[in-house]
Amino acid sequence: MKDFVPDTAPLRPPSEVMRLARMGAMMPTRLSFLRVLVRQLCAERAQITRRTWDMTPEGHGRAVFSITLSGHTYSLVAVSNDLPPDQRSDRVIATAWDAAFVLYDGVPDAADVDRIAAQAPLQEAGRFGPHDLVLSRANKSVRMWNACVSALQSGTQPDPAMIRDIGYLMRTTAVYGNGKFGIADRHLIADRPGLGGPFAVEMLAVYMIRHFTLELVQHVGRGTLDRSLARHLGIGNATGLGMAPFLVTHPVLFNNWMVARETALARVRGVQDVTPDQSKRLKTLAERAARHLSEWHVPAPDHDAALRDLHRDWIRFSTCFEAPDTVETLWQMGQSESEPLQELLAALLIEAFPDLVDDLVAEMGDPHGPLTVPFADTQSLKSAIERDWAWALQLDYEQADECRRFWYVSAAKLEPRLGDRHAEPGADLETPLDIARRVAALYAALKDIATPVSAFLARHPGHAHAASRVAILHRYPYAEIRDNLIAATCRPIDMLRCKLSFFGATKFDPKSDLWTRITLAQGAPLGDELGPSRDDWWLPTGE
Amino acid sequence: MDWSWTELQALGVKAASGAGVPAAQALAFGAMLPRHLADGGGEEPLIRALEAPDCIVTLAHQIEEMVERASITPKPVRMHQSDAGQRALMISWLAGLPCQSEVSVSGTEVRAALSLAAPSTRVRPKRIAVSEVLAAQLRNLAERTYVPDSDASRNVGAGAGLMDLD
Repeated sequence: MKDFVPDTAPLRPPSEVMRLARMGAMMPTRLSFLRVLVRQLCAERAQITRRTWDMTPEGHGRAVFSITLSGHTYSLVAVSNDLPPDQRSDRVIATAWDAAFVLYDGVPDAADVDRIAAQAPLQEAGRFGPHDLVLSRANKSVRMWNACVSALQSGTQPDPAMIRDIGYLMRTTAVYGNGKFGIADRHLIADRPGLGGPFAVEMLAVYMIRHFTLELVQHVGRGTLDRSLARHLGIGNATGLGMAPFLVTHPVLFNNWMVARETALARVRGVQDVTPDQSKRLKTLAERAARHLSEWHVPAPDHDAALRDLHRDWIRFSTCFEAPDTVETLWQMGQSESEPLQELLAALLIEAFPDLVDDLVAEMGDPHGPLTVPFADTQSLKSAIERDWAWALQLDYEQADECRRFWYVSAAKLEPRLGDRHAEPGADLETPLDIARRVAALYAALKDIATPVSAFLARHPGHAHAASRVAILHRYPYAEIRDNLIAATCRPIDMLRCKLSFFGATKFDPKSDLWTRITLAQGAPLGDELGPSRDDWWLPTGE
Repeated sequence: MDWSWTELQALGVKAASGAGVPAAQALAFGAMLPRHLADGGGEEPLIRALEAPDCIVTLAHQIEEMVERASITPKPVRMHQSDAGQRALMISWLAGLPCQSEVSVSGTEVRAALSLAAPSTRVRPKRIAVSEVLAAQLRNLAERTYVPDSDASRNVGAGAGLMDLD
């Protein structure tokens, strides 16, 4: 806890923040989970050691790397395979990958490594144990990989522009933690220093996978990458629909993320006197953001056009950083700008004031689940719906487009998918993410006579899910996305962007409304560079 | 086979849903399941409940009623449950709530002192053993919640059609 109470501006209300359009514009901040993890590694001057390196000249084989964090040693076991190009797919239903990984709790012995080498390439079809903390797999960016290998083999360095544009040698297509397929539950490690934050152990795996890819390409290329180029190679990720429902099914956790972020922004907005050093820092970050935007290009024309608009607007807006009297002045100047610019500005302000915000990381987990108090009666429940869910009551869910989508799990490797209710079978097996519609139906079923809620739910058990969501939102105001997730206009990519920004993702590269590629750890210190002065890689730029 | 808490909970939710239990009650059943096994409640009550899913809905309602009563009185709340299996599940259900709970039994009466604002401090085990009988029942019921694959749905899934090498 902080030993002083900073001045704060009011938090932005959930009605403003918890909208898909704004969530779909969010940027990584210094509260993002990978950033927090690397900051901790830097503070401890952690070092990665190579324990096993059993690779063919072509880079196929196995490797083990270890790192010690707050007294515990963790090891990445990597298995690199020869993957035929026609099998290189980002989808969940893929069955083979260039590389598979397990983050192991401790140092694995030879039997453990043999076991992991046999199971990890099977991924979802494999079976794992309580010492296995994270399971992941990755595919090469073949263009980036080949360019690096051939440059190194010819004694030169890869093209910095290509590194800027692609940003990684491999991209993960899944990073599984918390008990999946038998791996360790989060509660077994959540009280360890350094791993208490959300997804901390997954981020540790991701950081070590990035290290592995750099080692592997230098092994195959038989050369050494320039440090500045290596640092600008992060680790990619392809993310689809599986990540989107998480925000709905973990409402308290999601609330805590958003509250931390909004509290950080409110604290910074409360800074009354901007010192010359702070003013200089703000300008430096604004210039870095402009350069980052200039280097961020994506193939999809509509998304690239949006990026170009943001870049242009940011250049224009950057004059506001010349001499702000207060942070609030600067913030208010941004309020007439687009949502993407406002979200970039929010992330920048949070970045500039670490002493005001970094303690909020401790509040971003949810170790307990919802601690809600039941409503006194159905009238209280009804009042809560009218107050917190007015937006949901305004929609007509009988309209075809207001209920067009349905979320479901396919029997094919349990791949999450999104269907058209009016054109495809399977809506009877819909995953219950239609929260707004359910709450509206609950409201319609509530009469004007006050009765105990439990008595009402005994007669209408199908409304219990909605009633529980109303109770959760009543206690946790940022727990709910305030949009209709089954509307034809719902873009899952906005949910992905929100969640991935909390992971610390950059260079979002949407491939459709359903999935995106991103870059993690671009600009992060390398495995032998972790030290206290290295925590300055928000929105990395090429050198 | 040994399971993680989380995978057992997730499978429990799906299995209850596959058995026809509504969403909220299925979620609560899933949260109860690993607690019940971890506390040595036995598999038989779970197997029977999944065979008669109305019991799960009734049990969920009874818990709701107890929590509601606990919110207006600091005294322990009580509920009669004559079926021993259901009673065992009720104990686990209360013990698995996110809040602090002290649960005791006297004859057919289950008594619970619930502190709704205080988080549970119950310890979770590293692994939970599940027999193949229960595991198969859970898997079979969970499968009922999956939509059969088709060319059409596969071709519009996230990532479909893209094999680029970036």
